[in-house]
Amino acid sequence: MIPEGLHYHTEHEWIRQDNETAELGITHFAQDALGDVVYIELPKVGTEVQSGQEIGEVESTKTTSAIYTPVSGKITAVNEDLRDKPELVNQDPYGRGWIAKVQMTDSSQLKQLMDAKQYAAYLKENAE
Amino acid sequence: MASHPRIVVIGAGPGGYVAAIRAAQLGAKVQLIEEHDVGGTCLNKGCIPSKALIFNAELVGWIRRAEEFGIRLAGDLTVDVTRMLERKQRIVQTQVRGVHTLLKSWGVSLLKGRGRLTGPRSVEVTDSGGTANRLEADRIILATGSNPIMPSQFPFDGERVITSEEALEPRVLPKSLIIVGAGVEGCEFAFLYQSLGAAVTMVEVKDRPLATEDEDVSSLIEREMNKRKIKIHLGTRVEKTVIGAAGVMATLSDGQTLEADRLLVSIGRSMNTRGMGIEEAGIALGERGQILVDEKMETGVPGVFAIGDAIGRILLAHVASAEGKVAAANAVAERGTRSMSYDVVPAGIFTMPEIGTVGLKEWEAAERGMKVRVGRYPFRALGRAHAMDEIVGMVKLVTDAQTGRVAGAHIVGPHASDLVHEAAIAMRMGARASDIAEMIHAHPTLPEAMMEAAEDVDGFAIHLPRRKATG
Repeated sequence: MIPEGLHYHTEHEWIRQDNETAELGITHFAQDALGDVVYIELPKVGTEVQSGQEIGEVESTKTTSAIYTPVSGKITAVNEDLRDKPELVNQDPYGRGWIAKVQMTDSSQLKQLMDAKQYAAYLKENAE
Repeated sequence: MASHPRIVVIGAGPGGYVAAIRAAQLGAKVQLIEEHDVGGTCLNKGCIPSKALIFNAELVGWIRRAEEFGIRLAGDLTVDVTRMLERKQRIVQTQVRGVHTLLKSWGVSLLKGRGRLTGPRSVEVTDSGGTANRLEADRIILATGSNPIMPSQFPFDGERVITSEEALEPRVLPKSLIIVGAGVEGCEFAFLYQSLGAAVTMVEVKDRPLATEDEDVSSLIEREMNKRKIKIHLGTRVEKTVIGAAGVMATLSDGQTLEADRLLVSIGRSMNTRGMGIEEAGIALGERGQILVDEKMETGVPGVFAIGDAIGRILLAHVASAEGKVAAANAVAERGTRSMSYDVVPAGIFTMPEIGTVGLKEWEAAERGMKVRVGRYPFRALGRAHAMDEIVGMVKLVTDAQTGRVAGAHIVGPHASDLVHEAAIAMRMGARASDIAEMIHAHPTLPEAMMEAAEDVDGFAIHLPRRKATG
């Protein structure tokens, strides 16, 4: 369930690195906890962001939850498909449900994130 | 003037009939002229019929979700428009009858026909048969109302290209609808028709829906539109509208074309003040055709008053009624003394969820250079809202940073148009946010959101996590 090769954040975001670009989404665990996603407030392309900053919001039938970026940089793309099909986040959180791409200013920030194994342990640890 | 002055009121909408009753209560002999039905646009073609239909639409929404509440339906849901319209009509008729009863009980005589000023003290009434009657009056109150704006660029045919009046009489529900104008009326119709199953596309010149409302209200409503797949083209105008065999085609300023079964033009109202002898009697009209009056609701011609949509100030039924009471008091009194105040005007917008608003918007406060402190509270954080399954929206309280007084409230959510009155009375009494925060609010109720928003002004709402430091 937790894909290898991605970086994971304690707030349940994932990052897929492609050189200096970080593709960002929310994890399977996050979408499952939220339930049916009905709306996603996407960041604006071109926005400068700092790691830990709130860049958007996921709204489900049950609750809303902030989307944080674990890395600093500039938003270069957002997943426009989510405007019409927010449910993609539920259906394919690591694929077609991606949220934004960040041009990183400091890719060493990725080192502070977890890998799949660590994230699995983190989930287990926080399950109690 | 006689102790029982003769007062003629032209127009029996929520301005005119209220003015007539109040004048009669104060001892005047009142004649009320109405061409159509009493109650005016509000009761016959506006507020009341639209709210009746919106209730249907909300009910449809709930029934579609029945399973979530553990309620199983045996068959499919179908909407019987004819029955829906019958119900709406019954409600309107009951209200119309109610107004008739009130007028009768206060001895107001109702004259059917079209009124026309023939001088500062005389009015002519022409009935549908063409018979004219001349009335003499000590005072005259003009309450002639407004009509939907119908620019000639739109080929209005009452079927495919329509105004709000036909939109309230949909003999067949359209599968798709284009709405030009995302103001109050346009947005209400968007949610109404979407709930009844139509694909709705809106076109708005401004950069947000409900552009005169608070920014937070607009963004919440835009989000709800997105969730319901109501499409909205912002910063865009309709350049060309063509009626075809299958429907309507609209060409937008950005080159896109839209097609739908119907196109509703909802871009505002024009004052109904021409062709009834108003200017000829020496009464000045403004550039929008609005009758110019002072704070006592009196025109430049002493003894002639005007109220409601016709004066083009705030086009709301309840404002017209308030103006009507002021005009009546001043018309009956030997020397008018009552002044109209527009400081506290609450208003409801019946989108889904609905909106309640009063006082300053945040952008308005900024424009006036007022330093404000804002408190917000989401319904999502309220137990009662969850019990009702209506968790979308928030209460936003705008306060004057210097005095702490409530300067405005903007609510999106369940019963927002009811809830706003707590803030309205607070404003009227000059209360501070702390007065609301310290008043005990019953649990579990929706007004708790008002209390929490008041506490949030200082960052101390109990049922909100600590605010993150910004910057």
